[in-house]
Amino acid sequence: MLRFIVRRLLLLVPIILGLSILIFLWIRALPGGPTQALLGERATPESVARIRHQLGLDKPIYKQYWAYVRTTASGNLGVSISSRRPVTTEIRERFPATVELAFSAMIFALFVGLPLGFFAAKRHGSAFDHLSLVGSLIGISIPIFFLAIILKYIFAVRLGWLPSVGRQDVLIEAEHPTGFYVLDGIVTWNWNAAWDATQHLILPAIALGSIPLAIIARITRASALDVQNEDYVRTARAKGMSPGIVDRRHVLRNALLPVVTIIGLQVGLLLGGAVLTETVFAIPGMGSWLAQAIFNRDYPVIQGGVLFLAIVFVFVNLIVDISYGFLNPRIRVS
Amino acid sequence: MSIAEIESQTFTLETPTGGLWHEAWRRLRHDRGAIVGFCFVSVFVLAAILAPWIAPYGPLDQNLELITNGCCPGPSSEHWFGVDQLGRDELSRILWGARYSLVIGVVSVTVGLSIGVALGSIAGYFGGAVDNVIMRMMDIMLAIPGLLLAIGVVAVLGPGLFQIMIAVGVTSIPIFARLIRGSILSQREADFVLAARSVGVPRRTILGSHILPNSISPVIVQATLALATAIIDVAGLAFLGLGDPDPSRPEWGAMLTNTNEYLQVAPFLAIIPGIAIVISALGFNMIGDALREALDPKLRGRA
Repeated sequence: MLRFIVRRLLLLVPIILGLSILIFLWIRALPGGPTQALLGERATPESVARIRHQLGLDKPIYKQYWAYVRTTASGNLGVSISSRRPVTTEIRERFPATVELAFSAMIFALFVGLPLGFFAAKRHGSAFDHLSLVGSLIGISIPIFFLAIILKYIFAVRLGWLPSVGRQDVLIEAEHPTGFYVLDGIVTWNWNAAWDATQHLILPAIALGSIPLAIIARITRASALDVQNEDYVRTARAKGMSPGIVDRRHVLRNALLPVVTIIGLQVGLLLGGAVLTETVFAIPGMGSWLAQAIFNRDYPVIQGGVLFLAIVFVFVNLIVDISYGFLNPRIRVS
Repeated sequence: MSIAEIESQTFTLETPTGGLWHEAWRRLRHDRGAIVGFCFVSVFVLAAILAPWIAPYGPLDQNLELITNGCCPGPSSEHWFGVDQLGRDELSRILWGARYSLVIGVVSVTVGLSIGVALGSIAGYFGGAVDNVIMRMMDIMLAIPGLLLAIGVVAVLGPGLFQIMIAVGVTSIPIFARLIRGSILSQREADFVLAARSVGVPRRTILGSHILPNSISPVIVQATLALATAIIDVAGLAFLGLGDPDPSRPEWGAMLTNTNEYLQVAPFLAIIPGIAIVISALGFNMIGDALREALDPKLRGRA
């Protein structure tokens, strides 16, 4: 197991290096480049030359890349052009918002998707099965932002049941030791703040969770159908094990394996979808921040933010791979 | 002609079914999902082709008198889907918009598919270092969330309809590359290929009638599903303000986004283009699903 983990970690090195090269070159391919982003379009040639020298853009490209790698590796991602604040500080503030959103979306997707898929498989061919299939097809066909706009319109604007924007009511006084607002409320014993933050999360989480929900339901259904016909399930039933235990210990457990893999792949979708969801609900997270940065050509933000998110994504997939090894009895034994 | 070759010919003649595609078509015709999906897609494609003839008004025709009493009159007998904030007939714009969505979907999938399949086949065919370099590049592309990658490509290429299609297409390159590489690799060593080789089926025939049909079907399924994703992604880019720079063009995503501020007084203006997007995406998703089952060689001969 340890050897497997080490080998997977080593495989990450070329990917992360490649990513840094890709992002580095991409910034230089942007029309106007970083100098124009800093100085605007009507800069004099002298000031352009001065800034280029200041940023080291007049040096050969491999030296620029080396300088970039050295500063990045030391944990310095530069300063945002539009907010004049260090990129790392902004990531520290915004990343928890996105994680909180993506995590709640995933929880929602799992809590609804798993039972939906499992019971659809148990009642294979029934009306419930067909309904869940149609529902999940519609789920993957709805643009996230459209669903978000509709949810916001119905439940926040029309019915007024839930808040429509932000992460927490401005009138609520709360401390934020972790940056995860719901968790903050709980650890500071401020139930009011925790409840308010939870309410702010409900609609965005449903909107963002709709696609993983549909995919999880489909995968669970398909793999539960497969597992139901396996020899070991038949054996367990034949030796008189109660149906509940067979379902839980044999069917569900093995049917979950492909679902775990899918969860890892969903992380990329969640981060992409977060851009749209955060924009609709005005949540100050990574997604809306990066989209804005690309508009403003705030290149330190883009460079640092995209690299950070991509590394997170790669590591999540690594963790999924490892947990897959733990879950699958065949791999576990060997 | 050697004995083995003669045997191989009788061998192929004895195939009981009418070939993968023939059977897939037979199964598709009996699949309810495929029929519904096909209906949705037909409506979408017909709307796109026939828009100039069936649209009651031009997509840019404005009738400002209609909105003198505020935005915006809802559905009526003259304007089935109502009128938008600039006095344009919503139904006509939806019909014309189908053209943009169809072209955007087809072009972007073609971009992703052709580059992805080319890279994947090279990787799968040559193997070794070439394979390693190409697939690691694909891994890197996959490490960037799709929508961010698309936003990034649009940022480099600049605004424009064609640039958006490229951007959305680029995000699907690694998926196609992985798919075709994986299936070429698995087919090359598959039992039925070994079996065909051992009875002396010529290499050309093995490649043409065994490896390729079995490798290409997941790509076709993925392409159908990618059409749905492309339509949704382009709408998402439009929502972020990275869409078509010409606001008068009846592109569904832009129509949905531009009427967002009128949601309180005229929700139908956002809901109608939204439903149009959902229906076209749903149609492609349903066909893709049905195709996947119909083309699955493991299920051949059943039902």
